[in-house]
Amino acid sequence: MTSAEEKTAIEIDTPDDSFVQMIKKTGGPNVQNCYQCGTCSGSCPAGSRTNYLVRLIIRKALLGLKEQCISSPELWYCTTCYTCTDRCPQDVKPTDVIKAIRNVAVAEGYMLVPHQKTALKVLEAGHAVPLEKEMWENLREKVGLERVPPNASRYPEAIEEIKKIAKKTGFDKLVAEKETQEE
Amino acid sequence: MSDKKIGVFICHCGSNIAGVVDIEKVKAAINGLPNVEIIDDYKYVCSKPGQQIVKDHITNSRLGGIVIAACSPRMHEPTFRQAMREAGLNPFLLEMANIREHNSWIHSDDPEAATEKAIDLIRMAVARTRLLEALEETEVSIKKSTLIVGAGIAGISAALDLADAGFKVHLVEKEPTIGGKMARWDKTFPTLDCSSCILTPRMTDVGNHPNIDLITLAEVESVDGFVGNFKVKIKQRPRYVDFDICTSCGDCSEICPVDIPADFEANLSYRKAIYIPFAQAVPSTYVLDMEHCLGVDAVRCGKCKDKCEAGAINYDDVEKTIEIEVGTIIVSTGFEIFDATKKPEYGYGEFLNVVNIGEVERMLSSAGPTQGNIVRPSDLQKPKRIVYVQCVGSRDELTNRYCSRICCMTAIKQARMIRDKTGIDVYIFYIDLRTFGKGYEEFYESTAKAGVTFIRGRVGEVHQNDETMSLMVRGEDTLLGKPIQFDDVDLVVLSTGVVAPESTQKISQALNLSLSPDGFLMEAHPKLRPVDSFNDGIFLAGMAQGPKDIPDTVSQAKAAASGAMALMGKGKINIEPYYSVVDEDKCAGCEVCISVCPYNAIVLNERGHAEVNPALCKGCGTCTSTCASGAITSQHYTDGQIAAMITEYLSVRE
Repeated sequence: MTSAEEKTAIEIDTPDDSFVQMIKKTGGPNVQNCYQCGTCSGSCPAGSRTNYLVRLIIRKALLGLKEQCISSPELWYCTTCYTCTDRCPQDVKPTDVIKAIRNVAVAEGYMLVPHQKTALKVLEAGHAVPLEKEMWENLREKVGLERVPPNASRYPEAIEEIKKIAKKTGFDKLVAEKETQEE
Repeated sequence: MSDKKIGVFICHCGSNIAGVVDIEKVKAAINGLPNVEIIDDYKYVCSKPGQQIVKDHITNSRLGGIVIAACSPRMHEPTFRQAMREAGLNPFLLEMANIREHNSWIHSDDPEAATEKAIDLIRMAVARTRLLEALEETEVSIKKSTLIVGAGIAGISAALDLADAGFKVHLVEKEPTIGGKMARWDKTFPTLDCSSCILTPRMTDVGNHPNIDLITLAEVESVDGFVGNFKVKIKQRPRYVDFDICTSCGDCSEICPVDIPADFEANLSYRKAIYIPFAQAVPSTYVLDMEHCLGVDAVRCGKCKDKCEAGAINYDDVEKTIEIEVGTIIVSTGFEIFDATKKPEYGYGEFLNVVNIGEVERMLSSAGPTQGNIVRPSDLQKPKRIVYVQCVGSRDELTNRYCSRICCMTAIKQARMIRDKTGIDVYIFYIDLRTFGKGYEEFYESTAKAGVTFIRGRVGEVHQNDETMSLMVRGEDTLLGKPIQFDDVDLVVLSTGVVAPESTQKISQALNLSLSPDGFLMEAHPKLRPVDSFNDGIFLAGMAQGPKDIPDTVSQAKAAASGAMALMGKGKINIEPYYSVVDEDKCAGCEVCISVCPYNAIVLNERGHAEVNPALCKGCGTCTSTCASGAITSQHYTDGQIAAMITEYLSVRE
């Protein structure tokens, strides 16, 4: 980038507060209390090592810059440690706000491949952590556990039910759509 | 039904009422109600021409009762009562229907329902007015003396104004000296006047003033009575030193073997068990802290009494109860600094080198524990880098939601002093800098010019390097949009906000005062009665009412003094006749009313019947509703009047 390069101003032509309203409904009722003090970013362990700035994402959300929020890769750097939520002086609950934005992001097709893979695994095996390898089964036996754990992976009918739930809630499409996009 | 002629006047209040309520529809609906002789409306009934309309109707139609449908009676009831007096009608034949605060303002989204409600409210007011009786106001004299609770700069300013005007002042202070928090502060912003240089002459004036009765080490226990005639009970703790005899030589303190942290020095140094808080204390007398004294007999200690040549020390001093009568009261009980241990991420109370602004004030004072040098408490060395954290305990949903108003300027002032004196690097983390007063913004600008760095962002956390005792401070520079970290900070200063002291609760109970949600005392009206309490004759001044700087505190103190003078200057006031009266023919003398009356206003008279003292009765109605034989009536709020309103509301409208 050169200094002569044109820098465009942020355009907020049609004020759209539906994004903020959605966040308020789904996790951050006090998001509009935010006075941008930066306590969240100043406390954030993830932010001390990455470009992730909680405050900045909340700022963009408050301006209605939905696309910038949900397409930002940093959105996924939050480890949900809740330090910011403990310290936020305005009770914004930043962690919950980030989670609310993530939900919107996923619904609009911004899902990270590892998350999508994990989701597919749940649909396939009823379980997010893969246990199908024999070495895991041997290891379990060695420490005195049953070879197959007493969860959905032992009951094929339960997996069928999980698939039904996914279908009913549209979760299967959400994951599948992403798959086709990627390909 | 009586033949009382009632006039109904409907106020438009510009568009406040008429913009919502359909005035013509209301007029049509109440037209023809029994007793209603006149119905009129006007743009502003409270205005001079509006009042004239009311007065003219009273004279021309010989009206016997008035209904004004307008704003809250808290606003203009006195206005219309005065107009009635001028027209020769008893002012208690007035009923106001509140169709603004209770109607048009809150129902502006539904004009039709608001119009219906206005009709209901006016019909009810008419029903009550039919039964209103003419009452006489009692005139009582006002004692020309004032009780002032709290002798910081607010109490001192108000006391001097009143005393100079010739009124007797009883100034009560719970500490051994007057001066309050201002005496502990080093400099004042934005002029950098030395705080004690401008305060102590005022303190001396208080000590010497013939009209001021100074009562230190004392707290108000209870207050009875009413405006003009308050009876006050004060508890005074023993000082054990006679201030008529004490020469403040300090021999007693020198020999005292006890060392305890000095509260006045923000616990940064020690004082003796017998001590004077600071050199210019008023009264200039030592005080013995019996709680920390080793013992007052020759076996355990008793050294100070032996040493005192003047013989001023009296170990047998006891707590005293002082009873006084005053006409007015000013409450100026001040504030406390926020306890920063409630924000654990900043490490106050855990890390030695994290301090609050009160402690820095004492360090900066040349009379303070470090003789004006700023030091790291861990090793008393001069720091190289200092970080200020603003809004600690202010603007915070977790502690206090309000802005404390003094911390921005205090931090800027301290940073400026430190920078100018020592050249130390000072960084101030802030959210918004509020430099609203006269000369404040200019001072901020010149402080930035002096090399103090301002960083927009709140600090997230402070950690300590346990070896060097240095601090790591991490926050975000929100203007850069990047986290910022200092690894070797020598001193972190927390700009702690202000909170209402515990004594506020106590004084609010003793004086029956309301508190705002923030814990400070509540004023009667935020704009028009900013130093009045809800209780007539009781005024508020200074931080007791909410956070404010010294200029605002002194302004308020002067306002409170002038409010008290306005009452006392007249010498007499009218008391509203809303007291209970007993019908002796019905009273059985069972004394239940006496037992329930919260104001001790009822006694059994020589005829064996209950009798109410109108001066003490507040018209609360407790006795009226308790009396089994219905012998007690609350004047102006009779059962009949209230029942008539309810009946009217529940009756079917034509």
